[in-house]
Amino acid sequence: MTDHSSNSSDPAMKCALSSAEHDALRRGLRNLDDTLPPRAVWQRIEQQARAEGLFEPRHAGLRKWFAGAGLAAAVVLAVLNIPFAPLNDDARVEFPTEPEYVAVDGEELPALNALMVRSRQIEKNLRALPEQPSLVRASTAATISELEDQVAAIDFVLAHPDLRLSPEQQEIYWRERVRLMNSLLHLRAAQAQRMSF
Amino acid sequence: MSKFADIQIDPGIVRRAVRGDARAHEIIYRAFSPAVYSVCLRFTRVPAHAEDLLQDTFMEIIRSIGGFRGDAPLGAWIRRVAVSKALMFLRSAWVKRGQSLDDGWEETAAAEADNSRCLARSEQAIDLDAALAALPAVSRAVVWLHDVEGFTHKEIAELLGRTESFSKSQLSRAYQRLRPLLTAEAAASGKVSAMRASVLSSC
Repeated sequence: MTDHSSNSSDPAMKCALSSAEHDALRRGLRNLDDTLPPRAVWQRIEQQARAEGLFEPRHAGLRKWFAGAGLAAAVVLAVLNIPFAPLNDDARVEFPTEPEYVAVDGEELPALNALMVRSRQIEKNLRALPEQPSLVRASTAATISELEDQVAAIDFVLAHPDLRLSPEQQEIYWRERVRLMNSLLHLRAAQAQRMSF
Repeated sequence: MSKFADIQIDPGIVRRAVRGDARAHEIIYRAFSPAVYSVCLRFTRVPAHAEDLLQDTFMEIIRSIGGFRGDAPLGAWIRRVAVSKALMFLRSAWVKRGQSLDDGWEETAAAEADNSRCLARSEQAIDLDAALAALPAVSRAVVWLHDVEGFTHKEIAELLGRTESFSKSQLSRAYQRLRPLLTAEAAASGKVSAMRASVLSSC
């Protein structure tokens, strides 16, 4: 790219500057300080780029974080050994009243739909249980509260309009929701049994 | 060497930017924006114009980075985009004013007197920024492109849409204007050689 050597063969350039003067010029120009641009320029660029759809959606990273957090929560619960029934097993809990199950018309639903139906079934069974006793063990109350918080967090993610979850990500959350609800159902059912004695 | 060449960006950041990662683009912006803004400011001398050119340059980079193959350094590509935008601005300004790119020397005659005073003021130090500011915009751009960014006359001519002779002529006239300043500096640093004397005497 450079053709500085061409100056030496250009009479016009020779007449204008000596090599020492030319060196002084180059050195002086290159030592000039850069000027920092105003801070607001990047904000304008970012806004324009987002408006043109040139950047990834703002919550793409957040979605990944939530997906990771969901999996991490599953691992933590497993380590804490919070009791829960496997997803495909029927809950072997004695209920005061036999829980009703939603008919699925014998069709095999896609995994995501099956998880939603399963989640509704568990919610219905939970509502069928008697109210919580006013006196419960602190550890049980804490576990129930923790499970409810985790379900609420998942519901927040699933319902958030900006977090456009892929079907695979939704399935992860729904599977985790069903697992947490199942754990909750077991705890509440055990409470109800103790109350009946 | 151009300051653009001194700025290194991790290839991983560039790959993220190609995917549309806003944070990666911001890192590239933070690294290169002072150099881009400074070039635009030196060419236009108007901060508001330099800001607009900075924004245009990085919008172009964000739109086109998918086509950046990495054959040349990222800095060279960004410099090319910035210089192209700034020269396009200068050309359009001249068109709007109904003037040719050759104009401007007469306009700066008055500024030359100010420049001389500036040079006399700074006997020891070179105030090149002020001296450059006194040059016509196109000559200023040609000096910068040739002596700082290392562009050839052919490349400058292509960017300006003119001939190589035009680029050489602008540079020569700019050198003549800057010479008193540079002679003082060269003499101060003891670098005026006998060769210079013989070269100048032959002109």
